[in-house]
Amino acid sequence: MLGSASTLHGVRRIVGIVLAVVLMGGVVAAVLAGREADDKGTATKTVRMVIGSEKAEYFADPAVVKALAAKGYTVKAETSGSWAMEGLDLKGYDLAFPSSQAPAVELAARHRVRGTLPRPFYSPLVVVAHRSAAQVLAANGLATLDTGHRGTVRMTALLDAARHDRTWQQLKGASKYGELSGTLFISSTDPESSNSGALYLAAASYVANGGRVVADRSGLDRTGPLLKKLVTVQGAQQTGSDAVFRDFVSGAGNPLVWVYESQVASLLAGGQKPDDLVVLYPDTTVDSDHTVVPLTDDGKALAELLSTDKELRRLAVRHGFRPQGDASEFATDTTYLRQRLTGVRQAPVPTSAVLHEMARRARG
Amino acid sequence: MRRTLTAVLSAAALLSACSTAHKDDPAAPEPGALRVLASSELADMAPVLEQVRKDTGLRVRPTYMGTLDAVNLLASGRADGRYDAVWLSSDDYLRLRPEAARKVVSETPVMSSPVAVGVRTATVRALGWQPRNVTWSQVEKAVQDGRLTYGMTDPARSNSGFSTLISVASALSGAQSALTDADVAKATPRLKEFFQGQKLTSGSSGWLATAYKRRANVDALLNYESVLAGIPGLTVIRPKDGVVTADYPLSSLAGTGAATREEVRRLTEALRTPAIQRRITTTTHRRPVIPSVPPAPGLDTARRRELPFPGSRSVADGLLHSYENELRRPSRTVYVLDTSGSMDGDRLARLKRALTDLTGDFREREAVTLMPFGSGVKSVRTHVVDPADPKAGLDAIRADTGALSADGDTAIYTSLEKAYGHLGTDRDTFTSIVLMTDGENTTGAKAAEFDAFYRSLPAGRREIPVFPILFGDSDRKELSHIADLTGGRLFDARQGSLDGAFEEIRGYQ
Repeated sequence: MLGSASTLHGVRRIVGIVLAVVLMGGVVAAVLAGREADDKGTATKTVRMVIGSEKAEYFADPAVVKALAAKGYTVKAETSGSWAMEGLDLKGYDLAFPSSQAPAVELAARHRVRGTLPRPFYSPLVVVAHRSAAQVLAANGLATLDTGHRGTVRMTALLDAARHDRTWQQLKGASKYGELSGTLFISSTDPESSNSGALYLAAASYVANGGRVVADRSGLDRTGPLLKKLVTVQGAQQTGSDAVFRDFVSGAGNPLVWVYESQVASLLAGGQKPDDLVVLYPDTTVDSDHTVVPLTDDGKALAELLSTDKELRRLAVRHGFRPQGDASEFATDTTYLRQRLTGVRQAPVPTSAVLHEMARRARG
Repeated sequence: MRRTLTAVLSAAALLSACSTAHKDDPAAPEPGALRVLASSELADMAPVLEQVRKDTGLRVRPTYMGTLDAVNLLASGRADGRYDAVWLSSDDYLRLRPEAARKVVSETPVMSSPVAVGVRTATVRALGWQPRNVTWSQVEKAVQDGRLTYGMTDPARSNSGFSTLISVASALSGAQSALTDADVAKATPRLKEFFQGQKLTSGSSGWLATAYKRRANVDALLNYESVLAGIPGLTVIRPKDGVVTADYPLSSLAGTGAATREEVRRLTEALRTPAIQRRITTTTHRRPVIPSVPPAPGLDTARRRELPFPGSRSVADGLLHSYENELRRPSRTVYVLDTSGSMDGDRLARLKRALTDLTGDFREREAVTLMPFGSGVKSVRTHVVDPADPKAGLDAIRADTGALSADGDTAIYTSLEKAYGHLGTDRDTFTSIVLMTDGENTTGAKAAEFDAFYRSLPAGRREIPVFPILFGDSDRKELSHIADLTGGRLFDARQGSLDGAFEEIRGYQ
C-alpha cells in the first residue's frame, strides 16, 4: 500500500488522466477473429473479449479459430493496451485478457470478480542481444553464456553500470566491435504506454530496491533517480514491443533490447534461426502473466478451455507463449531458449497505481 | 524567428496533394483504397505497392508530404477523417509530439535505412579513406581542411536532413547517450564549422541528387543510404561512430474504424512477406526487416552503433532552431516579382498576403532582396534579418510588400539578368533567385538572349539557381526552361497556392 491516502489519490488521479488520454484515442480495435467460424454454423456461443495486442495474432490464427469452433465457441476479440482496460466500459464483454497480472487484479476488483484468476499462459521478459554485445557483457562479468545463443544477464551488475554511466568503451573487448560505443543500456518501449516497457521498470525497481517490490512513496523516491536514468539515456522510445524487436532483427537500433520471450519463440517457431541473436534471461525478471478476468460464465468457461485444451495449448506454444504447468511442452529446441526457468528469479510487479507513477517519474 | 510549421501546413498539404497522381480531392474516401499520409521519400515505393495491389487487391492512395509537416498536420487534428494510415520515414519526431502520437494506434516498421555519407569515389581515394572505417570526426576533419564539401536536405522539411543533423550533432558532441540541450550547446562551435562545408541545400532528396550531378565542386551528399546507393559514382559510407536509422513504420490511426485498421494490418502483413521484402531491398536499397531476407548486394552488413534520437521536443526543436538560425550558412535570396498590369486586383492581393506570411519564416542572418518588375525592374530593396533585431528587417520587408503596385508589361528575362547582376558569389551563403510571374515575357530581353547571358556568366554565378513559380497565366514551358537552364526547380502555385509554393521553396534556400 502507498504511504498515505493523499498520495494514493494523487496517483489514482494520474492514472485516470493517463487512461483518459489513451482512451480518447479510441484504442479499442476490433480484431476480426472468428470470421471463418461464423459461417460454419458449428459454433454456438459467441464470446466477446478485450485482449492485449500481443495475443491478437493468436486469436486470429485460423487454427485457433477452428479449435475454438470445435468446442462450440466463436470469439470476438478487440485489442486494448493492458493498462487501458481499467478505464473501459466492459458491459457486454465476457472476459478481459490483459498481458499482466497487475492490471488483471485491478480489473477484477473493479468488476467485483471473485476467485482465482486463470492464467492460461505466460511469457518472461528477456533481453535480446547481438552476439558481439553478449560476448563483451560475458567477458566483463555482466552476463554468462550457456551456448552461443543463450545466457543470463546479471541485473545487479547491469544496474550498477547504469548508475555509473558506464560506456561500452570502458568494457574490455568492446573495441573490437565498432558498433559498441556510447552508454551501455537496454532499450525498452515507452513505459507510460506499453506493458513491456513498464515491466522493465518493474524488474529494475525490484532489484534496485534490494529485492523488495516497490509499494510506497519512499520506494518510488529511492529507486526513482536510477529508473529515470534507464529511460532518459534511451532518448525517444518506441511505443510497441513489436517495433523494437523488428528493429533489432533488421540490425538497426541498440544491441540490447527488452522484449517478451514469446516474440523470440514465435520467430523461432516460424523456422528462423537468426545467427546474430543471443537471448539473455535476466537473473531477476518479471513474467508477463496473461491473466483472464472472467466477467460472465461463458468467459470463465473459455478461460478454462484455453488452460486445458491440448490443441489450444499447443497453438499457444506456436505463438511463443508458455502454457501454465508442464514446461516440457515449451521450446523443444533449446539453442536459444530455456525450456525451464529454474534459476530465474521472478520479481512481483508493483500495483498498477505504483507502476504508473513509476513510469511517469521515469519519463518526466 | 522560431516558429512552428503549423501555420503553413494547409498550404503545404494542398501543394503536395497536387503532386500526387490524383487531381481530385485526395482525402475523399474511395472504396478499396487506403488513403495514406506518407513521407515524400516513399514515392519510390510505387512499383512495390503496385505488386502488393496485384497480390492482395489492397490499393494505396498516397499523399506525399515532408515528415515534419505530416507530424504537424496530425497534431493539428486536420488529418482526422482524411487519412486511413500514416507512413513516415520514422516516428521518432512524432513521439515527441503527444498531440500527434495520440492519433496513432499501432506502428509496424516495414524496412530500414541508416543515414550515410555518399562520397565521390575519386574524393575517397584522394582522402585516403577506408570506407568501412570512416568516422564522423574524419568527415569533420576533411571539411575543416577544405578537402570535402557536401550537400544535404533541409532538416526542417525533410526527414533525411533531420536525421542527418541528429547524427552529426550526436557524433560531434561526443554525447554517449541521447542528446541533451547541454550537448547541443557544447557542440555548437564544432557544428558551425562542420556546416561551413555544406554547399548545397534542398527541400527534397530527389532534387539534391539532380543538383549534385550539375555541381562538380560538391564532393559528397549526406542522406539515407537508400538514396545514396541509387546515385552512380558515390561510395556509400556509414560512419563507424554511429548513425540514425529510419525504420518506416506503417501506422494505423485511432480515428479510423475497425475495418480500416484491419485493412492496414493486411497491408502491413503483405509488405512483410519475403517476396515483397526482397523486392523492397533490390529496388529501393532499403534494408529488409525480416531475418529470412538478406539486404540487397552492396549494402554492407557490418553493425553500426545506433545514435539515440532525442527524447524531448525541446532538444529536437532546439537543434533544428540553431541549425536554421546559427549553424548553417545563411541564405541570400532575390525575389523577382511580377507586378505588371495583369497582376492588378486579386493576384496582387494574393502575392502580398503570401509574402507577408513568408516573413514569419525567414531565418536570422538571411538577406532578402525584393525586385518587383513590370516593363523593367521597378526597385531593388535588400533587407537583412539581423539576429540582434530581427523584427526591424522583417517589418521593412512587410512595408515594401504592402507598397507593391501593379502596372506595366512583363520583362521576365531583363529582370532576371538584373537579379544575376545584383548577386555576388559570396561563398558563405546559399544564394538563389525566386521568380514569380503570372504571364509570358512581353518585353525586354528574349529567351535566347537570356540563355546566352546565363552561359556567359562566370562559373560561380552559374551556380545560382532560379526557382520559378507558375502562377496565373504564366507559361510552363518558358518557366521550366529557366529552371532547367539554371539548375533550379519549377513550383506550381496554380493548383496549390502561392503561399504553399513560397513555403516549399524555403527548403531550397
